[in-house]
Amino acid sequence: MVCAMARQPFNPNLIQVPESEQLYARSGPLTVSQVTVLVKQAIESALPPTLHVIGEISNFKRHSSGHVYFTLKDRASELSCVMWRSAAAKLKFDPTDGLEVIATGGVEVFERAGRYQLYVRKLEPRGVGALELAFRQRCEKLAREGLFNEKHKRPLPAYPTRIALVTSPTGAAVADILRTLERRYPCIAVLIDPVRVQGPGSADEIAAAIRRVNVNRVSLGGVDLMIVGRGGGSLEDLWAFNEEVVARAIFASRIPIVSAVGHEVDVTIADLVADVRAATPTAAAELAVPVLADVLAGLDAYVLRLSRAVRSQAELVAARVSAVLRRSPFREPLNLVHRREQLVDELSNRMHRSLIELARARRHRLDELEPVVQRIAPHAHLLKRAVELRDAEHRLRWAMSTRLIEVERSIGRCVRRLDRVSPVNAFPRFADRLHRVADALPVAMRHRFSLHRERLRRHVERLGAMSYKSVLGRGFSITRTRRGRMVVRSLRQLEDRQRIVTEIADGEFQSEVVNLSQLELFD
Amino acid sequence: MGKRKLTFEEALEQLETIAERIEQGKIGLEESINQYERGMALVKQCRDILAKAELKIERLQPRADGTVETTPFERTGEKDGES
Repeated sequence: MVCAMARQPFNPNLIQVPESEQLYARSGPLTVSQVTVLVKQAIESALPPTLHVIGEISNFKRHSSGHVYFTLKDRASELSCVMWRSAAAKLKFDPTDGLEVIATGGVEVFERAGRYQLYVRKLEPRGVGALELAFRQRCEKLAREGLFNEKHKRPLPAYPTRIALVTSPTGAAVADILRTLERRYPCIAVLIDPVRVQGPGSADEIAAAIRRVNVNRVSLGGVDLMIVGRGGGSLEDLWAFNEEVVARAIFASRIPIVSAVGHEVDVTIADLVADVRAATPTAAAELAVPVLADVLAGLDAYVLRLSRAVRSQAELVAARVSAVLRRSPFREPLNLVHRREQLVDELSNRMHRSLIELARARRHRLDELEPVVQRIAPHAHLLKRAVELRDAEHRLRWAMSTRLIEVERSIGRCVRRLDRVSPVNAFPRFADRLHRVADALPVAMRHRFSLHRERLRRHVERLGAMSYKSVLGRGFSITRTRRGRMVVRSLRQLEDRQRIVTEIADGEFQSEVVNLSQLELFD
Repeated sequence: MGKRKLTFEEALEQLETIAERIEQGKIGLEESINQYERGMALVKQCRDILAKAELKIERLQPRADGTVETTPFERTGEKDGES
């Protein structure tokens, strides 16, 4: 269906071609070109320069040159359409086959093909606005790609320090945002990347600014949040924020982005891609920063909490300390030491006693041996041995007392250490050592005594043996019975004619008893 | 104090950790007091950050090589150049 919405309805009578009639009359048959020219003139003069045509798009083709070709059709007819690159570039939505549209343009004849075509200057979807449709189409596309996906949304920093604003430096938005930031949380830095927010090229500027802040975020000292937006306006005014290039820049941003485009009711694609959508620029600033007073109150709460925790712990420790101090080792700290000292005294007394007893026993034995030895050995020899013995005794006593002093010293050290270290910990160790020393001492002593006893025994033996031979050398002899070799000590052992053996220094000889008579023993 | 200046958030996180550590009572009194002092230092650091009373506003100017420079931003009134 073709509606000619011209001011005057089509009237074939108005076509005046007197010259062509003349041409026809004069020249007979016409060339194809001549006919085409006639048709072109007829159509183009008969139709108004602008027509609005409703139809369904089919066979839509976008040529690499940028020109667009399609057919508009309804139930009965088809109309070839051309849209030049310049007009096609302005298309907000994506024309697809089957879409019902209103095409605006003029019908002209394409001479080379002998075909009339609608040269479309503007194409709009029917029923919805072009922008509306474009918005829907782009939403679908980007949603399919996952740009709106929740999983890509980053949380905003709780306490930002540097916020970048991508917006117009003169708009209401920037003023609202700055005022709100100042009121709530003035301790931050704000970086404004000024951009145009409407008109041709604005979308590219916004996208470039978002990328620029991202690229330079480190050299800028770290940008932890970006607000991208503008104040309210018509759908056309806000359109830059629906452009794909802006959506992709927001999606690629490493810095979390709060979008703030227009008013509460305006939702743009930028809003859908952004990590957080704010209804207005003021709301964006409120989302971006906390309230300073709240943060300070939070810090005060920490101070209180820390102080309380430390105080209660200190009280707990103090209670424990006083409980320990109430226990006896602290009330009478020397009791334990005194008890140990008493034990040491006892042990040392016992050691002294046993020493004296041992010495006394040795002396007694010596006294017993002395007459025997004296009987068979020269006094000097004996005396020497006696002196040695006494020396040994002295050494023994000395060793004992040294050991005792050592023990006492070690006890002294223990006591001093006890004073130094915590008594509760030191007592068990101290006691243990004391017991060990106490156990070891008698054993050591017994060992020492048995050693000396053995040495004494050996001396006595050797002394006896040696003195007997030396006596023989000086002219004495020993007489023994021949049978039994008993030493003859008494006449009662002898009888007449009995054989006896006499040992002298260099041998022995036998003799016979004669003239047995009682003799007086020499002293 | 660490070698790097803590961010406000990190300082708060540490404060929380310190508070929990002291409250749980698993560390000795002496360590608690150390932690308390560290906590107070962190609070001071946070307060210093918050003490800046004026918004610092700068304007980004792109250079040809893709980097940017900052200049002070002059606030124009409340006029609306958009709608």
